Amino acid sequence: MTIAIDEDRLSETFAALANSTRRAILARLAEGAATVNELAEPFEMRLPAVSKHIKVLERAGLVVRGQRAQYRPCALDATPLEAISTWAEQYRPVWETRFDRMDDYLTQLQGPRRAKRTR
Amino acid sequence: MTDNDGSRDAVVIERSFDAPVGLIWQMWTDPHHFKAWYGPNGATVPVAKMDVRVGGTRLVCMEMQTPDGAMQMWFTGEYREVVENQRLVYTESMSDENGNVLSPSDIGMPDGHPVTTEVSVELEDIDGRTKMVMTHAGIPGESPGAAGWAMALDKLAAYAGAHSER
Repeated sequence: MTIAIDEDRLSETFAALANSTRRAILARLAEGAATVNELAEPFEMRLPAVSKHIKVLERAGLVVRGQRAQYRPCALDATPLEAISTWAEQYRPVWETRFDRMDDYLTQLQGPRRAKRTR
Repeated sequence: MTDNDGSRDAVVIERSFDAPVGLIWQMWTDPHHFKAWYGPNGATVPVAKMDVRVGGTRLVCMEMQTPDGAMQMWFTGEYREVVENQRLVYTESMSDENGNVLSPSDIGMPDGHPVTTEVSVELEDIDGRTKMVMTHAGIPGESPGAAGWAMALDKLAAYAGAHSER
């Protein structure tokens, strides 16, 4: 099974997520759009520092800014996160098969245990 | 949580086994048992070295028969959490037979595959049976704290799922 993924974009997404402040910003945006001022509130950080984090998130495609000149509210765009899921999902059938085998192996090891029990 | 919602950044599989937790723990930590079930279909596990303690390393070889002969893939990693019969967390990276980490593209793995992934196994005794939750997730290289990252992503992934019909 092959799924085409833009590797650079994926690295950018991972890099953007590898920072606790940015993850907190995203978690806040998961609840709804917010202005930069609102996003800065919970952090002991100056606005320019928060803006810098938001720019990183924008470049990674995780945040989109509104066009209203004064506020330009930030909103979450979860599309890049869906790309992250694709590598992981390729492993699901592998693990499922493994655990089927683990189940068979446990039956072999334990013999009569299963027969005696009601499920 | 069911298998198919939430946690879209990771594979999360929940299974229940008719076996005591101690035995399921051994499935993951005793090389003899591990080799019996781990290899994907058509593969064997000729090598499984496991130093099961926090900071201990692991080295696993999977061998597949191909028309060109036997193909070996090696995986290395480190145990991060070891709570007997309850919780096991280890990292995994593709490597050579000496445990030197390789980049996924070197060996033809799909683009976008993180260099290091993390497997966590949670076990719970339920009247002599065992509930197991296995999570296989990617780790961004720069982040030492994968747990916070995974939690944040869970939340975001749930959001993505809820809004995917936009």
